Formats: sequence, structure tokens, C-alpha cells
Amino acid sequence: MLKVLIVDDSMIIRKKVAKLFEKFGHEVLGDAQNGQEAIEQYNSKKPDLVTMDITMPDMDGITAVKEIMKDHKDAKIIMVTSHGQEDMVIKSIQAGAVGYMLKPITEEKLAQTIGEIFPEYAVDEQDDEIDILNDDF
Amino acid sequence: MIIESLLLQTKLFLQDDMGIEIVETKVADDGTDRVSLGDYTSMIGVGGKINLMVVISYQNELLNVLVESFMDGEEVDPEEEQEIKDSVAGEVVNTIMGLALPTFPNRGKGVTITPPITINDASNIAKHKSSKIITATITTEHGAMSVSVIGPEDILK
Repeated sequence: MLKVLIVDDSMIIRKKVAKLFEKFGHEVLGDAQNGQEAIEQYNSKKPDLVTMDITMPDMDGITAVKEIMKDHKDAKIIMVTSHGQEDMVIKSIQAGAVGYMLKPITEEKLAQTIGEIFPEYAVDEQDDEIDILNDDF
Repeated sequence: MIIESLLLQTKLFLQDDMGIEIVETKVADDGTDRVSLGDYTSMIGVGGKINLMVVISYQNELLNVLVESFMDGEEVDPEEEQEIKDSVAGEVVNTIMGLALPTFPNRGKGVTITPPITINDASNIAKHKSSKIITATITTEHGAMSVSVIGPEDILK
């Protein structure tokens, strides 16, 4: 089970992402609404994984990634953005993020991204099919 | 070009992501000097190489359907209802803007976007004399929403 921190200025996105992580059996340690809160929460909670919005008020996600990576070189941060801007994504990766997801976030996108970063938590589609078959009978 | 791109992404978002049927779309480029707002409105400022304002306004019924979809069937706590509606209104404009941006001039490079701002107690937004307004209205099975772009005439032509 992964311990997760969700960072987004949108309440509905924080709720939605938390629900998806919980559905996959992971634990949401907390959430933050801007980059500064994210740094504070990271330092106190030490999550296995962070989902980080890019555009946020007060401190943006790229700045927060840089700050977290200064003290936690092994931090696993996924950027979440609605902006199809290559330069923002590139800056995030250069800052130390391990991946990104474009909004709207779906169960499939999140499962795929988790599986790429933590192969041990990849959702096995074959198992899902077996579960569905078992449900039918 | 910009309004067509925003309209296309709005239609795709409503139909494909939200499962909402679109009844009619209209684009008005009639020299109006103000945007008439619906029940809920959210806007995003675009800066850098292009300066624009994108305003999306919703009829209440349509926003309620969008909230239901975002909540995945989970019941909305009445104490949180207003905050959730504001959040969904903002997230929709954010998502549509993000999807449309790569089709903007220069593929949206060098463009910055503000976090969404929600406006609930206004009936219209007026433009500055040198700017232009183009509005697309999307009528769905659950009510209408409008997407307006306010900016310099040479960018919006």
C-alpha cells in the first residue's frame, strides 16, 4: 500500500484523486492546496508518492518540486496538469518529478502512472477480467 | 481560431468525458461590448505571448449535472455544496483551456495561465474599448453554457 499526498488547489480534484487512490487500496495521508503547504506536509508526513498540480496560487507546483527535491532526493512526485504545455512538463521533470498526468484524471490514467513508477502496484488487467467473470457466475 | 478550438474542446469534454448530449452550438461575433453571465461563472486569464480572458458561464442545471459526474455518484454534503460547485466550475474551464492551448498560435508556447477565478454575483462583464468579445453558446440536454473570449481584435480574428 502506498502512502500518498495530494496537492491541488481544486477541492473537487483533491476529492476525486483521493477516492481513486483509496479505490486502488492506497492510503491518502493528506492533501494540500498550494506548493508551500505541500512542502510542509511532505516534511511531516514523508509520503511514498505525491500528486502535484502545476498551476496553483501562492506557490506553483514546479517550485514546490524543486524545494522538496532539495531535501528528499528520492521523492516520487507526479505532476498533474490541465495545460498541454510541453515546457511546463519539461520544467517539472527537470525539477525532479518522475512523471505527469494530463487532466481530466481517470482511473485508467492513474493506474497506468502508478504502475510505471511502482511496478509492484501495477493493476493486472487479467486479474480484473477474472474478477469480472467470477462476479458473473 | 481560438474560439473554434475552445468550442471543439468544450464539446468533446461534455460529450466524451461527461456523457452529456449537445443539442445546439452557436458562435456570436457581433461586436457586443459585454458578456452576459449565467448562474455560475468561472474565468481564466491568459498571459505571456497572448493576452486573453476566457470566461465560461453555466446554467445551474448543467453545473449540477457536471457536479454529479465529478462526484461519481457520491452525495454532496449541503455544507460543501457551494464550494464544490465553484470548484467544478473552475476545474471545467481549467480543463478545457488546457486541452485547447496546444492549438493556440505558436502551439501555446510562452503562454501562462492563471488559476481559475469564480464569479457568482455579477450579471455581465464589459470589455475595454480596444478589445473584442466572441461567445460560443452550447445548449445541452441539461441546459446551456457559454464560452467567451475577450482579447485584442488581431488575436481573435
